Amino acid sequence: MAAPLALRRDFFSLARILGGISQLGPRGLSACSSHRKCSQTPFHFLQTSSPFFHTATYLSSTPLTITVTDEPDTLFQKVLVLVKAHDRAVLDSYEFFATMAAKELGINMGKVSEPPKDIERLTLLKSVHIYKKHRVQYEMRTHYRCIELLHITGCTAQVYLEYIQRNLPEGVAMEVTKTAMEKIPDHILEPIWKDHPIDDKSSK
Amino acid sequence: MAASLSSSGCARLMTALARSSVLYNSFESRSLHVTAVCCKNQAARIRIGKGDKPLTYEQAHHPHQIAHRKGWLSQHTSNLKGVEGAAERTVEDVFIRRFMFGTFHGCLANEVVIKRRGNMLVVCALMLQKLPPQKFYFLIGYSESLLSHFYKCPVKLDIQTLQDKAVYKYL
Repeated sequence: MAAPLALRRDFFSLARILGGISQLGPRGLSACSSHRKCSQTPFHFLQTSSPFFHTATYLSSTPLTITVTDEPDTLFQKVLVLVKAHDRAVLDSYEFFATMAAKELGINMGKVSEPPKDIERLTLLKSVHIYKKHRVQYEMRTHYRCIELLHITGCTAQVYLEYIQRNLPEGVAMEVTKTAMEKIPDHILEPIWKDHPIDDKSSK
Repeated sequence: MAASLSSSGCARLMTALARSSVLYNSFESRSLHVTAVCCKNQAARIRIGKGDKPLTYEQAHHPHQIAHRKGWLSQHTSNLKGVEGAAERTVEDVFIRRFMFGTFHGCLANEVVIKRRGNMLVVCALMLQKLPPQKFYFLIGYSESLLSHFYKCPVKLDIQTLQDKAVYKYL
């Protein structure tokens, strides 16, 4: 993608944000908001006399390279980020993280809406053999959150979306819709009958 | 975790039939109401007993408490609306759970939690301190490299150790 000199400023602010936000981190936000599983919380009655250890995931990222070209940057009228998850609390904390990141980067934010949830229900037989009257029902709930970004340049959108996507929590899916204006192609600017009036007379 | 529905269902049916035959042999006129065996749910539930069985938080809560008091053991996006690949993820999860149960035999304190972040597979588990730490580190490295070669994606293991199993309730 084209990357003008203004990208350098965005990268510095991004580095500041990554340093500042990643301490409290989206992982920290999602960990304290939603998960009630006991397997995630460290237990506080560990005794120091016997040896114990704890391994954690350390993610390494390659350093980003900045390229400078003279091509004009694409302009997006609207970038819609739709996030889907099974857990509403995870979406709440992710929305807080994304809106804070957008505010720090100075991106115009439209409205942050919550489309109504979708519930997919299945009714299955409870037993392996016969007992048709006894069934069991399962449901899968999908919650949505829609974040709108208005009047954004291509490079800013790329940087912001990459930051957002690297910090997507597990079990959360994202769909991005970008709306840009395009020039009308030349062959439909003028009507055809203006260019070829002679052809009709010769066919007669 | 898997309870065999058919065997316990058959056992209850046999006892119900035996009781009904005994009653018919007696000369008292009693009406008999035999209910179908399938009314009770028994998926992922441990029934109330004498009070000596220790249960973890995960085992003590029934499956209808998921998303209320329980979380999810396996987190991926393929069960969301409009996303495919649920069956493949489920098969992978089953294999990973059996693999972890077998590799760290007797050391698992609670269920294995599997998370998928992008391409990466993160397997989180709580272990008991049954083995010396060197053996643990070896087993962690062995399972990480084996699983990443098998699934062609980076696999990371998050292990925390405990002295004993964390008991939530006695049933």
